[in-house]
Amino acid sequence: MRVTQGMLASNSLRHLSQSYTNMGKYQDQLATGKKITRPSDDPVVAIKGMFYRTNLTEVEQYKRNLNEAYQWMESSEAGIEHANQVVQRVRELLVQGNNGSNSPTDLQAIAVEVGQLKEDLANVANTQVAGRYIFNGTKTDTPPVNVEDDTVTVDMNTDAFNVEVSNGVNLKVNINGTNVFGQDLFNTLQSIEDALNSGNMENGDDMLGDLDKHFDMLSAERSEIGARYNRLEMVDARIQDQEIIASRILSENEDADLEKVITDLTIQESIHRASLAVSSKVIQPTLIDFLR
Amino acid sequence: MTSTFFGLEIARRGMFTQQSALSTTAHNVANANTPGYTRQRVNFEQTTPYPPVGKNSPTIPGQLGTGVEAGTVERVREDFLDVQYRSENNKAGYWSSRATALEKMEEIMNEPSETGLSVTLDKFWQSLQDLAANPTNAGARSVVRERGIAVAETFNYLSTSLKSIQGDLKNELDVTVKEINSLASQINNINQQISSIEPNGYLPNDLYDERDRLIDQLSSLANIKVSATPSGGNALTIAEGAYTVEIVDDNGNTLGTLVDSKQKKANELTVGYNSGNGLVESVTIGRQKLDVLDFNSTGKISSLIDSYGYTYESGTSTFEKGLYPDMLTNIDTMAFEFANKFNAAHREGWSIEDYNSDTHTPVDFFSFGDVSLTDSRGAAELIRISDDILESTDHIAAALPNAAGEVTIGDSQNAQKLADVKNKTFSIDGNTTSFQNYYEGIIGGMAVDSQEAQRLTSNSEVLRDAVEVRRQSVSAVSLDEEMTNMIQFQHAYNASARMITMQDEILDRIINGMGLSGR
Repeated sequence: MRVTQGMLASNSLRHLSQSYTNMGKYQDQLATGKKITRPSDDPVVAIKGMFYRTNLTEVEQYKRNLNEAYQWMESSEAGIEHANQVVQRVRELLVQGNNGSNSPTDLQAIAVEVGQLKEDLANVANTQVAGRYIFNGTKTDTPPVNVEDDTVTVDMNTDAFNVEVSNGVNLKVNINGTNVFGQDLFNTLQSIEDALNSGNMENGDDMLGDLDKHFDMLSAERSEIGARYNRLEMVDARIQDQEIIASRILSENEDADLEKVITDLTIQESIHRASLAVSSKVIQPTLIDFLR
Repeated sequence: MTSTFFGLEIARRGMFTQQSALSTTAHNVANANTPGYTRQRVNFEQTTPYPPVGKNSPTIPGQLGTGVEAGTVERVREDFLDVQYRSENNKAGYWSSRATALEKMEEIMNEPSETGLSVTLDKFWQSLQDLAANPTNAGARSVVRERGIAVAETFNYLSTSLKSIQGDLKNELDVTVKEINSLASQINNINQQISSIEPNGYLPNDLYDERDRLIDQLSSLANIKVSATPSGGNALTIAEGAYTVEIVDDNGNTLGTLVDSKQKKANELTVGYNSGNGLVESVTIGRQKLDVLDFNSTGKISSLIDSYGYTYESGTSTFEKGLYPDMLTNIDTMAFEFANKFNAAHREGWSIEDYNSDTHTPVDFFSFGDVSLTDSRGAAELIRISDDILESTDHIAAALPNAAGEVTIGDSQNAQKLADVKNKTFSIDGNTTSFQNYYEGIIGGMAVDSQEAQRLTSNSEVLRDAVEVRRQSVSAVSLDEEMTNMIQFQHAYNASARMITMQDEILDRIINGMGLSGR
């Protein structure tokens, strides 16, 4: 084949520009840390990248929702715990007042404490977390318990407040407030307080029985939320695993392998040098240089 | 016997002929870097020997050669390589233009990234989850509204940007049509010059070069077939004649004549746009009007028609096809379905406003401005947040009535349902899919298309360059070779001159040295 200077020159130019293109590709990969810069570089990586990103965003969101769920459940559990202590204390006071050796003044003193405990319980029932009444079902904007002139009225919503903690899994994060802070409980406390104030302790034993019933309800509610809390922890563990997996897959899918890219770049650099050297040699001499 | 001056004549012819060869060498060297230049060669021809054959020819032993003359000055070129080059150049023109159009599209769609539609949608779904966890939080509501605005704006941006590139493609198409017409008229002009020179027995090599260069350019724009019409008169057999340039389809059947060598005229190529949708409807070459579907030809112009979009009627329906119209239809469909599915879920819910007034007034979350769209066309450009939602975030409907039919403000069942619209599957274009999958499909399709276009661009360019190298191998000027020739011709010239000196000495002998006896 007949070869001319022009062919050599245009070949050199083509090889050099190809070489620059390759270096540009590695430069992009190093600068962005990504294997691809546009979908056509690798359609599969691109589509998977979109999918994994969405996946990761979902996982992050579920983590946020989990925090929300923890906040609700822990606050709810603290509320039950508190109610438990209050009822426990009232029971002690009732037993004390029921033993028949108390003077009316003593009983009235006990009644004052029971009254305080009742109001304390009402306050706990109106616990707000981030501005929401957590014991009022989904009616989070209004306090479930009203105290007016020592009279407690309960108007409680018992709807479930659900939080999505993983795809399609909705977990109820509130408790049934009526089991913990129901009108019955406040009525029982009121009647204990009234009995103590009047000094008539005839129904003392019945009232003890009522309090025990409330204990049962409290512990039932408590074990239920405990069970749900365990479930939440399990979901949490799973979500955390998922987050690690999702980030790893996202990274494996589209992150550039720096060692490989740098090695490739170095190889390409030396090819480029060689190509430049060859071009400078091949283009220069013609017969004219040797003719006199 | 020949005349005394016979030898002088042979040597003179030698000198003249070598000189013309040297001039041609000089021309070759001078044009070594001229694009499209074909090296030229003087065809040396021996002159008629003496004595010529004839009844009265003198009887001398053998025929004596009478020297050399320059016969023709010919281009060294191989037509077959031109045909190959133009065919590959045509494909390269098609694919590289398609690859560019798709690259621009990829840049607009900008996936996968942290700013594309996919991520914007993800963030929107995320804000709905936050709303579901905090339905009474005004902040969460504002975030939903802002993310909703971001989704709508992303759709708007995609639509308007695609349309703007589509507009650029139309300009490029018009410019390409002008370029084709300009090339055709230039080729026609050269044809006319060639037709007036060739009958005189000349070879207008430089005009041939110019014409081939123009045809090479034209070949990347349209798929062409070239045939020659001889000039007649005293035209040499190696004269190339006037060229007819036809635009052909993929099977090589002619679609129309661009340059007519018999009529000596260039026909205009025009592209006809549909008055309704503005897409390409027909292509006319001269008087030959073709429906766009019949113009199944490669080259840049077809690629631009494919990218910009074309329209045709089949039965009673009008179809719009092309890279950009398809993508616009896809995102319109997505925006339309998205807004409708989301609105349907939103209308079910009770907003704070509803709760306060205790009446359920269904409200749309997204709207299409003042337009009530019946199909998806234009949805991506028009989609926005409804005025109700813009007016107050209290219109965001997060709650659903409970089993007893009561609505509470802290209920978030509908917010959850809105967030779940993300995973709802429904039917788009006869396929059951979710937004995520549908969008991934769109991007995947575009990516594969673009990858194919890039691969075929580089393949056809490699093939074209390979043919070009072969063509260069035949036609390009090699300075070494020209220098070798120069020495060769120079020495032959010098030697011929020396022959004249020798003849001079012979004549000197005859005139001054002979017949002196008896003096």
